Amino acid sequence: MERVKTGIEGLDEMLYGGFLPRTANLIEGAPGTGKTTLGMQFIYNGIVEYNEPGIILTFEEFPQQYYRDAENFGWDFRKLEREGKLKIVMTSPEVTRIDMERVGGIIEDSVWEIGARRILIDSLSHFCRLSKEPFEIRSIQYSFINALKREGLTSVLTWESPLILGGGRGEIEGIAFAVDSYILLRFVEMESEIKRAIVVLKLRGSGHAKDIRRFEITSSGIVVEERFEEVEGIMSGSPTRRMAESFIEAFVRKGAHVGL
Amino acid sequence: MTAKSSDLLTELMEEMDPKFLEFLKTKVNSFIKWDLVKFFHDNPNTADTAEGIARYIGRKTEAVKLELEELVIDGVIEANIINGIYIYSLTKDEEMRKFIGYFVSACEDRHFRIKAVYHIIREMRRLPSSMT
Repeated sequence: MERVKTGIEGLDEMLYGGFLPRTANLIEGAPGTGKTTLGMQFIYNGIVEYNEPGIILTFEEFPQQYYRDAENFGWDFRKLEREGKLKIVMTSPEVTRIDMERVGGIIEDSVWEIGARRILIDSLSHFCRLSKEPFEIRSIQYSFINALKREGLTSVLTWESPLILGGGRGEIEGIAFAVDSYILLRFVEMESEIKRAIVVLKLRGSGHAKDIRRFEITSSGIVVEERFEEVEGIMSGSPTRRMAESFIEAFVRKGAHVGL
Repeated sequence: MTAKSSDLLTELMEEMDPKFLEFLKTKVNSFIKWDLVKFFHDNPNTADTAEGIARYIGRKTEAVKLELEELVIDGVIEANIINGIYIYSLTKDEEMRKFIGYFVSACEDRHFRIKAVYHIIREMRRLPSSMT
């Protein structure tokens, strides 16, 4: 089966090879969990490793912020733009809404201009400000996702969850049905440290890893590591040790310290 | 007038590159326009309404709208009308984009900035208040 690889160590393995082509892929997480980094890495790897030009559509962060953040990972976004392989577009959900259903719109033009195959939408949650009616918002988001698919793009859509620790569902539930894959990023508090967790909840049309894994944001981007072991309740943000591990810790390891 | 302020005035009155002077006198003749030009230079693929752009640069929409319209007339900014809504973006004219790049780079020099501020204030005083 054809796959669109993210090029992110460990993530493609969780996705059994990558996203499916021309699909919409949601990344949900609290501020700072690494959604935008994951999206930028998807775009960057697409260009340099798989020769697939990409677009970043931002509704809030200034493009100069992306240039700067990318530079920290050693990704020269300005150079890629000059070479016509990347385009960072800043606009508002209001403009995007009227733009997506016309010929020669911003996205359509950009796709044509650089031959884009991938797009990062940062973030889809900004569409919520277009209406107070959940049904209308959902309808706008569905139309937008369909417009991206019409353009033949494989998209990564970020979604900001309000809670720093644990899961806040809220408005996400509607859109979760519209997307083809759904990845959760979470902060997890463990032993007085904040760690990051990633899990693939859904990948329509394919199997995927079900385990919850650690990931780090390194100097060269996101690296997905091994699964969390011996703890449960990770997605709550405050995991607890499993009964067996607690027993071993309390009686066997402590016993060893006192010479039992 | 003290010797110090007289020196500063002399420096300010010193000749500026005529192309930059012309640009300041005819195109970027207000601080809002300066902010807009800098914003579009730094974020060249931005396309948004006057409201959105005003939010990005932290100015009032009414003021920004007028300045955007003038920059459109001067060929610095482009306006597309979609469903009756004006969407502004940086001109696609390569020459103008290059010149804006030179201007923004020149502004990194403090002496150039002081001169530019001086000329903008002069222009703003010269123009009727409705245009500043």
